[in-house]
Amino acid sequence: MAIYTSHRLALLVLSILLLLVVLELVRRGLLKERYALLWLATSAFGLLVGVFPMLIVKFAEWTRLQFVTVMFLAAFLFILALLLSFSIVISRLVERNRELTQEVALLANALEQPEGKGDE
Amino acid sequence: MVIIPAYNEAEAIPQVLARLREAVPDYDVVVVDDGSGDDTAAAVARAPGVALIRLPYNLGIGAAVQTGYKYALRKGYDIAVQCDADGQHPVDELSRLIEHIEADKADLIIGSRYVVDTGYAPSMSRRVGKSILSRLIDGLIGGGITDTTSGFRACNRKVIATFARHYPDDYPEAESLVILHKSGLRAAEVSVTMQPRQGGRTSIRPPHAAYYMAKVALAIFVDLFRKFTRAPEDI
Repeated sequence: MAIYTSHRLALLVLSILLLLVVLELVRRGLLKERYALLWLATSAFGLLVGVFPMLIVKFAEWTRLQFVTVMFLAAFLFILALLLSFSIVISRLVERNRELTQEVALLANALEQPEGKGDE
Repeated sequence: MVIIPAYNEAEAIPQVLARLREAVPDYDVVVVDDGSGDDTAAAVARAPGVALIRLPYNLGIGAAVQTGYKYALRKGYDIAVQCDADGQHPVDELSRLIEHIEADKADLIIGSRYVVDTGYAPSMSRRVGKSILSRLIDGLIGGGITDTTSGFRACNRKVIATFARHYPDDYPEAESLVILHKSGLRAAEVSVTMQPRQGGRTSIRPPHAAYYMAKVALAIFVDLFRKFTRAPEDI
């Protein structure tokens, strides 16, 4: 099983494009470094396969899958990882938002009625 | 102190506050207005001596109640009582709950609807949901608690400190019992007679019951493998 040069080139171009877009977004401050890492890993994987396609060819032979299938599988897993990381980030944001909101409400209360400490 | 979470309860809350003043005059009251769209805050402001905490938007029942516990912790209260704003909870029985806490019979006392027949008749879907939930929790933590979803409860400072740090979002009462159990705190219940609602509407609508049930079941399952800490009790 071989891989077409044109496919390799397309993969390399897309990966480099992704790499550049992600780096530019980080440079402009639109994307935080910690959230860029997984995107960079995705792009690095594309570059790796573009430079050493035999990695995937061997893997495809070993698993008896088509080369394209393996690529889709890899892409699917990266997307899954990205989505999961988004869910984690959103959950953390919700948690912090809740704590901030409670804090704002408690502070507003303290400002309005500064006195008063009870025991029951 | 008494913590009352309120979401659009302008109709019922003045009467609840008046009855509380009669039933437990020594207790301070704080109402947590969970982003109500009606005149709840104004109704509370008219009641003398009642503290009001206004959440800027609707955070949900769990977060609203937790705000009350955080307040109680910061203000140094030793006992916190939780009570609904809709008038269903018999506030004149509050002193019974408080007595149990003062006597250190448990860290949290639940005012329960199911211990004896008290004439409380919730709708079918709520009854089924609550019964499943109650059985699940009783099976997990033991102790023979029959009404795990009651929001009519009294607790000591250890529980206040725990809830200030960990409090669930939906159907929080049930899951909070698991949190207490995991924290090594004791819960017990006494029976009380529930009243019909004085106004407003229930926050739990039947179509959501199955969703909440799945969510709470997941939360409780995960809780079994979590560690819970207390907020510092000294201020």
